[in-house]
Amino acid sequence: MIDFQQVSKTYPGSIRALSNINLSIGKGELVFLAGRSGAGKSTLLKLSAGIERPSSGALLVNGQDLGRIKAATLPYLRRRLGLIFQQQRLLQDRDLLANVMLPLLVTGSSRQEAEKRARAALDKVGLLDRARNLPQSLSGGEQQRIAIARAIVHRPQIILADEPTANLDRESANLVLETLKAFHGVGVTCLISTHDEHFLDSATRVVWLARGEIAESWRRMDAETGSPA
Amino acid sequence: MKLWLRQHHQALLQTLTGAWRHLGSFGFNAVVLAVALALPFAGFTLLENLRPVSGQLAVEPEISLFLELDTPRAKARELEPAIRAILKEYQSAASVEFVPREQALATLQKRSNVPDALATLGSNPLPDGYVLRLQGYSEPDQAGRIGQIATRLEALPGVETLQVDSDWIKRLAALINVLRVGLVLLACTLGMVVIAVVFNTIRLQVMTQQEEIEVSRLVGATDAYIQRPFYYSGALLGLCGGILALVTVNLGLQPLNAEITDFARLYASEFRLLALPLPLALTLLAIAAALGWCGALLSVKRQLARLARQGS
Repeated sequence: MIDFQQVSKTYPGSIRALSNINLSIGKGELVFLAGRSGAGKSTLLKLSAGIERPSSGALLVNGQDLGRIKAATLPYLRRRLGLIFQQQRLLQDRDLLANVMLPLLVTGSSRQEAEKRARAALDKVGLLDRARNLPQSLSGGEQQRIAIARAIVHRPQIILADEPTANLDRESANLVLETLKAFHGVGVTCLISTHDEHFLDSATRVVWLARGEIAESWRRMDAETGSPA
Repeated sequence: MKLWLRQHHQALLQTLTGAWRHLGSFGFNAVVLAVALALPFAGFTLLENLRPVSGQLAVEPEISLFLELDTPRAKARELEPAIRAILKEYQSAASVEFVPREQALATLQKRSNVPDALATLGSNPLPDGYVLRLQGYSEPDQAGRIGQIATRLEALPGVETLQVDSDWIKRLAALINVLRVGLVLLACTLGMVVIAVVFNTIRLQVMTQQEEIEVSRLVGATDAYIQRPFYYSGALLGLCGGILALVTVNLGLQPLNAEITDFARLYASEFRLLALPLPLALTLLAIAAALGWCGALLSVKRQLARLARQGS
């Protein structure tokens, strides 16, 4: 699903954000990216979403090499991804329904269809009754759940979440994480970055990054079957 | 096809909603465009009104031949075959009318406001003459040939003077040509102004909607999807500016016509300025919309490339 092969990323000024990353994430996996600020988590997610391009190595997402993908093809790849950002990036002058409808409208869905599916997504994150509210009327945790609704409304194959629980209180953070895990439960591949070790206790696979390199990687195995939990 | 139409419908709806939401700034920009467009539109209206006038004048240019005063009537009548021969030589169809001096005086007395003054002259001072109405000169440019005919006619025996009315037709034709070229240059210059105004307006719109553009890209919007509403916005601005300009020009015709009608009556003419015919008006509006579209196209491409470089 996502395959990093010797991927490095260097920013102008010889700032090396990632070095020789080898990482393979299979279909339906839930992977946490852990590490301190500046470890390279956001860069790795940006590369996975095609926001940045690798400086070297090969990065395959859904079989497409993001280092060589044409700019015109990128939007079609992104339609299979659900992106969640630390700053939710909701459109402040649009109500929540319009925000969640956006990924459907850009792919050519009719307004009726988009509205129907957006309402269903808002229902899943428990905020349907706020559909006509503007984002600024919501708490940080609620805004993050709207961002999740926007990320899943078009039924993506992969969810990439960059610090979705940052700046949230514990209760809100748990709620956001539970929502994401629910989508993983229906077969969506999730790659979530966090610096909050509290959430790693329940993780099945964690990749630790330090100074742009994979410092540690472990996978929780099912005690009975011996396969990944 | 259905998807394509739906996306255009959405973009148009988005444009109209945006224009309605920011009606003040949209209206102000349309007024700026209208000011730029009003001048060429007024020029086109003037030229369109002058065209039939100049055409009508050029259709039947007149040549008046005045014979020597002491030319016997019989000799005067004998000139007609020679005149027709010259016209035939130049392949010019014309009506040739002999005007006896008595008839000329009667006509003068009828038209003139000074019959008493004419009566004091005692004898008729007017000579016999011919009036030639040339046909087939639908274009003012053909007036040059009339000069050659006139030279030949003037050389006929017994001809005292000759008066050609093609000279001022030539001048009018030349003036209209100058006006036409000037108007095209003016229209080009002001067309650039329209493009520049729309360019800047759209640039500001892109900057205002930068976050929306970036988010749209991240959720899978193509460049075409992002650009479309801006194109419609530019075209709508051009169209509204054009409509405003057209309305302004047409409203301006009313007070102008009040003065022109009085002036034209002095020359026994019913001339007045008319609004542009509908097909031409629609063509000008389409051009205005196309200019707006061009301005938006140039601006959006440039701004989106800039945003892409910034890494959105």
